[in-house]
Amino acid sequence: MTEEFKSGAAPTEAEPTATRAATPMWIIVLMLILLFLGAVYFDHNSGWFDGRLYGPYSSTEQLESYQPKSGAAAALAHGKVVFEAYCGLCHGNDGVGKPGQAPPLAGSEWVNTQGFSRLAHIPLGGINGTIKVEGKDWSMNMAAMGAGLSDADLAAVLTYIRGSWGNKASAVGADDINKIRAQMGKSPAPMTGDQMMKMPE
Amino acid sequence: MKNGALVFLAALIALGGSWVGFVLAPTLQLGGEKQTVVLNGTDVYPIQRTGDATVGLQVYRANGCANCHTEQVRQDGFACEVTLTAAGKNPTVVSNLIASLKLDGLTHEQAEALSDKITAAGGKSETRLVATGGDIDRGWGIRQSVAADYLYDYPVQLGILRAGPDLANIGFRHPDMKWQLQHLYAPKSVSAHSSMPPFRYLFEVRKVADSGPSADALDLPKEFAPAEGSEVVPTEAARQLAAYLLSLRANVPLYEAPFTPVTTAKP
Amino acid sequence: MNSANPISVAKIDASCRVPLLALFIGASVALIAGLTLALVAAMSFHAPALFASCPIFTYGRVAPAANDLLLYGFCVPAGLGILLWIFARLSRAELALPIVSVVAAHLWHLGVFIGTVGILVGDSTGFTWLEYPRAAAVLLFTGFFLVALTAMATFGARSERELYPSHWFLLAALVWFPWIYSTANLFLLAWRVRGGAQPVIDWWFTNNMVYVWLALVGVGTAFYFLPKLAGRPLHGRFFTLFAFWTLILFGTWCGIPHGAPVPAWLPSVSFLASTLFIIPVIAIAIIAAKTAYGSGVVCKGGPLCYIEFGTASFVLSGLLLIASACPDMSRILSFTWFGFGQFQLQLLGFFGMIAFGGVYYILPRIMGQPLPFPGFVRFHIWLCWAGIILFVIPLLIGGVLQGLANYNPTAALMMLRVSSMGLVLLLLGSLLFFVNIFVMALRWNLALIKTVIAAVKAPLEEAEVKP
Repeated sequence: MTEEFKSGAAPTEAEPTATRAATPMWIIVLMLILLFLGAVYFDHNSGWFDGRLYGPYSSTEQLESYQPKSGAAAALAHGKVVFEAYCGLCHGNDGVGKPGQAPPLAGSEWVNTQGFSRLAHIPLGGINGTIKVEGKDWSMNMAAMGAGLSDADLAAVLTYIRGSWGNKASAVGADDINKIRAQMGKSPAPMTGDQMMKMPE
Repeated sequence: MKNGALVFLAALIALGGSWVGFVLAPTLQLGGEKQTVVLNGTDVYPIQRTGDATVGLQVYRANGCANCHTEQVRQDGFACEVTLTAAGKNPTVVSNLIASLKLDGLTHEQAEALSDKITAAGGKSETRLVATGGDIDRGWGIRQSVAADYLYDYPVQLGILRAGPDLANIGFRHPDMKWQLQHLYAPKSVSAHSSMPPFRYLFEVRKVADSGPSADALDLPKEFAPAEGSEVVPTEAARQLAAYLLSLRANVPLYEAPFTPVTTAKP
Repeated sequence: MNSANPISVAKIDASCRVPLLALFIGASVALIAGLTLALVAAMSFHAPALFASCPIFTYGRVAPAANDLLLYGFCVPAGLGILLWIFARLSRAELALPIVSVVAAHLWHLGVFIGTVGILVGDSTGFTWLEYPRAAAVLLFTGFFLVALTAMATFGARSERELYPSHWFLLAALVWFPWIYSTANLFLLAWRVRGGAQPVIDWWFTNNMVYVWLALVGVGTAFYFLPKLAGRPLHGRFFTLFAFWTLILFGTWCGIPHGAPVPAWLPSVSFLASTLFIIPVIAIAIIAAKTAYGSGVVCKGGPLCYIEFGTASFVLSGLLLIASACPDMSRILSFTWFGFGQFQLQLLGFFGMIAFGGVYYILPRIMGQPLPFPGFVRFHIWLCWAGIILFVIPLLIGGVLQGLANYNPTAALMMLRVSSMGLVLLLLGSLLFFVNIFVMALRWNLALIKTVIAAVKAPLEEAEVKP
C-alpha cells in the first residue's frame, strides 16, 4: 500500500463501474412484512394523530374512559346515560319536551324546586291527569318509568335533570330515593294533577 | 441515467415527506397551542414565568445544563386503585370483601366492578387513577411531561443525558432558594456523591463587610466555606438560575396526563 | 472537453488542489480542537472541580462545542472536499469555479470558529447539535451553498450521461443539508415555534444531519472507493438504487424518542421508521461485502482499510439506532451514555474513518506528490482501531449500566475513564493526520514561493528591456 503513496498519481485510473445485479426478492418481502407489522403497531399506539393522546394511552377512547371524574361530574355523567336511555325518547335529550308527548324539563317549575320529593314521585308513581307546566296544560299519562330503576340510577337521573339545560337545583342522593320509595309503598297508584298540586315539594 | 429525473423526483418526495410529517405537522398541531385548564378544575396551566425565573431559563441555556439534566418525566403505564372511604352499615361484610380482593393495579373496568361490589355491600369507595413508571417511582414527578408543560419555554430544555437527576419538578422537591444556591456553589455539600461541577463562577467570594455578613451570604459547612472573614454571595445570574429552578413544577393533572390528585399529606 | 480528447486525470486532480487543501486543513484542525475539547469535557467527570471557576470550560459549554466541532468542523468539510473530487473525477472534468469553493471553505471555517467561540462564551442556542448562534449559522449555510454551486457546475460539465450510484447519494446530500439546516434555523431560531414543537424539529434535524446526511455522504464515498480500491465493480446498480431510496425514505423519519413529551403518533411513526431502517442497513452491508470481499485485495493499513472499517461501523451504528428505538430498550438506554456513544460511533467510527480513507487517497493525487510520512497512515489506523473501540464500547456499556442502575451517577464512572483513554488515542491519531496534510501543504506553498522568487529574480529577456 505504501508504494502507492511513494509514486504519486498513477498515469491512468479507471472510474468505478457498477454491475446490473437486481434487488433480491427476499429483502423486498422482508420490507413488506415490516411495513405490515409497523402499520399494526401504529394502529394500536398512535391514537391516529390525535394531538391530545400521549403514550402509554393507546387510544382516545381509552384516555377518555380513564379520566378521573370528580364526584359531581361522575354523577352527572351517569345520569346523562340513564336519562338518554329511559326519558329522552319522550322528554327529548335536550329537555325541551315534545308537544303531544311529554312536557319540557328545561326551566320547569316542577324540576327547579327546593325539595325533590314531589319530583321523585313522578317517575316512581307516574301521572294520570292534567298538570300545568310552564304555563301550558299537559294531559298525558306518564307510566312509572323510574319504578324499575335502582336508587342510584334514579338519583343520578334526577340530579342530571335538575342540573342541566339551565336548571340549577340541588342533587338527589340514592338514600333519599330509597326513603321516598319506602314511603310510597309497593305498587303506588299514579297521581292526578290535583294530587300533584297539593303535594309538598 | 436515463430516468435520472425520476430518481431525483422520488428522492425529493422521500426527503420532503419527513419535512411535512415532522416539521410542518407538529408546527401546526403543537405550535398553535394555548393555555389549557387543570383537569377537573378551573385553574389555567401553564402559568408564564415572571421576573428572575424568565431570565433564569437563559442562564440555564447558556451554561448548557441540559447536557447533564433532563426536564421530562416519562410514564410507563397507568392503573386504577380503589380505596374504602366509609364502611357503611355492615363493616364486617365490607372488610371481608376487601380482604380477598386486589385493590390496586386495576383496569378501569375492574375498578368500576369493584366499586359497585363495595357499594352493594353498603360501603363507600373512591377510585383513583395513578400514573406508573420508573421516573415516577424515583419521585421525579407524579405524571408524565406533555407538550403543555413547555408552552412558554424558549428554548425548550428537555435535556439529553441524566448525569444528574431530572429537574421537571425540582421546584417541589427542593423549594428552598438557599438550598438551590448552596447546591450550585458546592454540590457535594448537599449531595455527597454528586459528580456535578461546582459553579463557583456564578458566585462571588468577598470580604465580610464591617456591618456584618450580608443577608444573601451562603451558609456553608466547614470544608466548603471560604476563608475566615470572607463570605460567598450569589451573583445575579445565580439568583436568576435558582429562581428558574424553583419555578419548575408540573404536578397538576391534565386531560392528556390525568391522575387523581391526593389531598392528603403525601405529595 | 469531449470524449475524443479527454482531460488527463492529473489535470482533474490538480484543479481540485487549492479548494480541497482549504477544506482538509480546516477539517483536520477542527478535528484536533474537537477531540481536545472532548477530553476537557471528559475531565469534568474525572475531576468535577477542575474548572469550577472557569465558565469557558464548564461541561455544559465544552461538550456541545466539542460535538459541533467534530460534526461541523471536521465531518462536513472533509466530506465536501471528497464530494467535490469525486464529482470532478466522475464527470471527467476539472473542478468548476475553483475560487468559489475556496471562498466557501474559508466562510465555513470562519463560521465554525465563530460558532465555537459563541458556545464557549454562553451564546449557545440551547438546541442540541444546533448550538451555533445565528451569525455562525448564516456563514455555514452560505459556505455550503457555494460548495453546492461548485459541485453542481462540475456535475453539469460531465460527459458521461449515465449516473454512477455515488452520484445519487452525493446529490441528495447537496440538497438535503441546505433544506434541513435552513428549516431548523428558521423554525427554531428565527420564527421561534411555540413550546412542544421545538424538540420535535430539533430531533428531526439531529437525526437527519447525523444519521441521514452523514450516511448519504459516507456511503456515497464508500461506494466510490470500495470498487476502485478492490478493483471490482460495485455490486448491483439497481440494488444500490433500492438501498439509496430506502435509506432516505425510512431514515429521515427516525429520531423521535419513545416516551417523549409529544403526542403519541410522533414516537410511533419514528419507531416504525427505525424498524424499517434495517432494510437499507442490510442492503448497504450486502453491497459493500459483495464488492470488497473475495477481490483478493487485502487491506494493509491504506485507504481501503479505513473505508472497510467505516462501512462496518455504519452497519453497527445502524443496528444500534434500531435497537435503541425499541420502547423496551429505550426505557433503559434513554438519557444515558449509550446515546452519546452512538453518536460518536456514527461521527468518528463511520464517517471519520471514511473521510480519513478518502483524504489519504485523494491527497497525494491532487498534490502530485507522495505523502510526506506514509508510515503515519498505518500508525493512524492502528490508533483509530484501538481508539474507536476504547472510546465507543465503554460508553455503550456504561450507558447500559447507568440505565440499569436507575441513573446512579457512579455506575458508569469506570467506563468513562476507559473511554477517555480511547479519546486520547484518537487525538494522537488526528495529530498524525494533521501533520501529513500540513507538511504537504507547507511543501507546496514553499515550492510556490520558490517559483515566484525565481521568476522575480530571473534575468529579463533582452527583448523586454531594450527599447
